[in-house]
Formats: sequence, C-alpha cells, structure tokens
Amino acid sequence: MILLESHSIIIQDVLTDRFEKPSRMDIQFVDFDHVRFHLSTGESKTQVTLSMGIHCWPDLLKYGAREHLQNEYAGMLLDPSQTEPEYDVSIVIDLEKIPSSQEERTALIHKLSLFKATAMSAPFLAAFEEESALEANYKDPAGASQIDVEQSVDAGELKIVRYREEEAMYIQARHDRVTVIFSTVFKEETDRVYGRVFLQEFVDARRLQSLQSAPQVNYSNREPPLEIRHLPGLKNGEDCGYVTFVLSKRHFANPTQAQSTILRIQLFRDYLHYHIKCSKAYMHSRMRYRVAEFLKVLNRAKPEVAVVERRTATGRTFRTR
Amino acid sequence: MSNTLRPYLNAVRATLTAALTLENFSSQVVERHNKPEIEAATSPEVLLHPLIVSRNESERVLIEPSVNSLRLSIAIKQADEIEKILCHKFTRFMMMRAEGFVILRRKPLPGYDISFLITNFHSESMLKHKLVDFIIQFMEDVDKEISEMKLSLNARARIVAESYLATFA
Repeated sequence: MILLESHSIIIQDVLTDRFEKPSRMDIQFVDFDHVRFHLSTGESKTQVTLSMGIHCWPDLLKYGAREHLQNEYAGMLLDPSQTEPEYDVSIVIDLEKIPSSQEERTALIHKLSLFKATAMSAPFLAAFEEESALEANYKDPAGASQIDVEQSVDAGELKIVRYREEEAMYIQARHDRVTVIFSTVFKEETDRVYGRVFLQEFVDARRLQSLQSAPQVNYSNREPPLEIRHLPGLKNGEDCGYVTFVLSKRHFANPTQAQSTILRIQLFRDYLHYHIKCSKAYMHSRMRYRVAEFLKVLNRAKPEVAVVERRTATGRTFRTR
Repeated sequence: MSNTLRPYLNAVRATLTAALTLENFSSQVVERHNKPEIEAATSPEVLLHPLIVSRNESERVLIEPSVNSLRLSIAIKQADEIEKILCHKFTRFMMMRAEGFVILRRKPLPGYDISFLITNFHSESMLKHKLVDFIIQFMEDVDKEISEMKLSLNARARIVAESYLATFA
C-alpha cells in the first residue's frame, strides 16, 4: 500500500452494514490530524448521527466549509444549534429514506465516508474560484515590466488552515496558479533527516518525462517561503520544513480533476509522515536480521561440545528428564 | 572489495591475532578480584601499548591490549547525515543486545562508534581465530549494511514521490 486513501474505511464499513440491517451503535473513532468521529443512533435505530470534531474547524468555517457541506449533504446536515456537543459538525442519516438501489447506496456511502475530506476541501475550492476571478480581471502588463506591477493586486487572500497544533496549510490563489504551502514539524532528529531525503525526491521526481504535468514542488527548511514570510508566529527552527506545491490551471480545470487534486493534496502531510515511519520500521527489521546474523558468526567461535552417550558399568544409559 | 579495504582488514587481523595472547591474571590491588586490567587500569605495568590501524580519517581501529584483556574500538565511516544516523542506530541496536554478544562493550570509547572487550575467559572458551574472523566480518558487513540501508531509503523515497506525483498527472 503506497498511497493513502481519502475516505474513512470505518464509516464505509459500518454504514454498508447498517444500511442492510439497522441496529443500535455508538462508535467513536479517529482519523488523521486528530480528527474525531462519533457514529451513533439516537432514540430510533434508523436515525444515524455522524459527528466530526476537527482541529481547524474555525478556519474551515471562515472559508465556507459549512456551505460546502450543506451542498454536498443536502438535507442531512444539522444546524449548528443541533450539532452534537463536543463535536464541530453533525449529519444525520435517516435509514428509512435511503435510496433502494444498490448503486445509489454505494454512492451515498462513499460520499459519507469522504466527510472529513469534503470539509477540508472548502478552502481549496474557494481558492480555485478566486483564481478564475483573478484570471478574468488580469490584464497582461504589456509594455510595463514585471517589476512595476504590484504583487498584491494579483494575489488572492492567503488562506490559513491550522490542521494540527503546530502545523498549518497556506493556500493562495494567483492569476495563473494556486500555491499550497505546508508547514510540517519533525519531532525527531531521525525524522528530520529522513524527511529531507523524501522531500528532495519530491523535488527531483518532477524531472522525469512522465511526471512533467505534476505540480511543481519546492522545499525549504528553516526559512519559510516568501509568500508567507510576513506572517507572525512562524517557526523557523531546524526541525520544521516548508513544502510548496504550485498547482497550475490544468490541475483544477474541471470539477472531477479539482476533486481528485484536493483529495490528494490534503493527505500530503500524512502521506509523508506515514512513509517516514514505514522506512524506520523497515530499517529496524533489517537491523534485527543483521544482528541475528552477526550473533550466528560469533557463536561459531564457541567450540562444540561433543555429546557422547554415557553408560554405567552395567550398560544402562542415563536419561535426563 | 576495494583495494584499500583488503590491506586494512589484513592489518587489523594480524594486529588482533598478535594481541590476543591473554592469560588469567588476578588483580594486584584488590585481593581475590579478577578484573579486565584494560578497564580497571589499576596497575600500569600490565597494560601494553595501544595501537591504531587507520584506513583514512574516519575509519580506524584502536586496539588496546593488556595482560588479561583486550579492548578493540572501531570508528565506522560516516559520509553524511543519513549514514551518521543509520550508523548510530545500528550500533545502538547492537549494544542494547550486548548480553547476546558476550564480547561487546555496552558503550563505545569516546571518538569511536562501537567497542569490544575480549577477556582471557572469552579467549579460553572460544576459538581465537574464529573470534578474529567475527571482528573482521563485522567490520566488512557493517559498512555494507549501512550503505544498503541508505540506498533502500533513497529508493523508497523515490518510489513514494513518483507514485504520489503520478496521481496528479
């Protein structure tokens, strides 16, 4: 398994089961980036409530997450006043009103299992819209040199999504591209070094002919990139890194493309850290094997004690129990 | 095997074989004690001259013989940050299993990455030439293992990056 999946496998499995035969449940589980889920039934077995607690909800709200969820889960989303306490957003699924055909059901379940991804995609969609607006207004500064054109005119609002305590995602639209910057913190020295190897490969991979259309990736550690340097409270220690993705027009040309781009890029941080952990585990198992081999070599140095059968004078043998 | 590694290992092998002439020797300072003199260092007259076999700046072996014990410390090549970390992890991993490796010292000497302590009891219970074989094979394999681990990390990083970026295309 190289790529991570965007949907929540637990939501998918549980709902597939409950759509067939409703029963009581009260399940709490988590997803990446400290996202908490609560799947429960209320008074009746057929009223399933799915609640989500997400760290960056205030940020997401600012960029229209509620409206986006309202569109996606029409008729299911609960008002803020009805949202389950301790969670940020709730939807309710009435099992008596779900579509009867198998295909429609699968589609609905898939949509519900993307609950977190849908909520997180609001700022991206907003940025994509901003980009098209900027492009429409953008006039090529013919005659004037690039330096004369004020940078701020053609840049959209810088959207900040603090999806973890110390890590954030910055999204900014320009007239011809959308820049997504991730700040990530490596807790350990080893993670930092491994992370650098991985990120360097992300930068280099684009040189391949087959990956020419992939977004451009830049990576810097210590120094935040210029786009966000003016922001207060940025960390610039040894242990944090900044990764910039430049999404060009073709990555969000049509809704399906935009959707898949958003789903991918959301999971970048989890993907990177997941593979760093995997590498560490692999190294560990390798070391285990190698140390066992060394031990075998050392044990060869011990002379073997010849086992001879000992007998008493009458010819009986000893037996050890 | 590169042409400088062979003479280096041969020199270590010869020095080690010559130095492994250990005999039982009770402490002269404390009655009824028998300690590895190279570690206790209570009587300077039983310590022999330490010797360094060095391949280059970063790779060297320090052999410190004494009457009843021998300490051998190895500095492993570390070209960059990744190798440094891999080497540190690997030696630490081994030293945590020092009971299994009876001749391994739990801590390396300062300036070295891993140390072995061979006492007369070890050289009596184990075959001397096989002990030397073990040390030499260890030195050979540890370099190989570290560079293989580094390669596999790079290969993995490449595959990971390519398969992620390929989904955008």
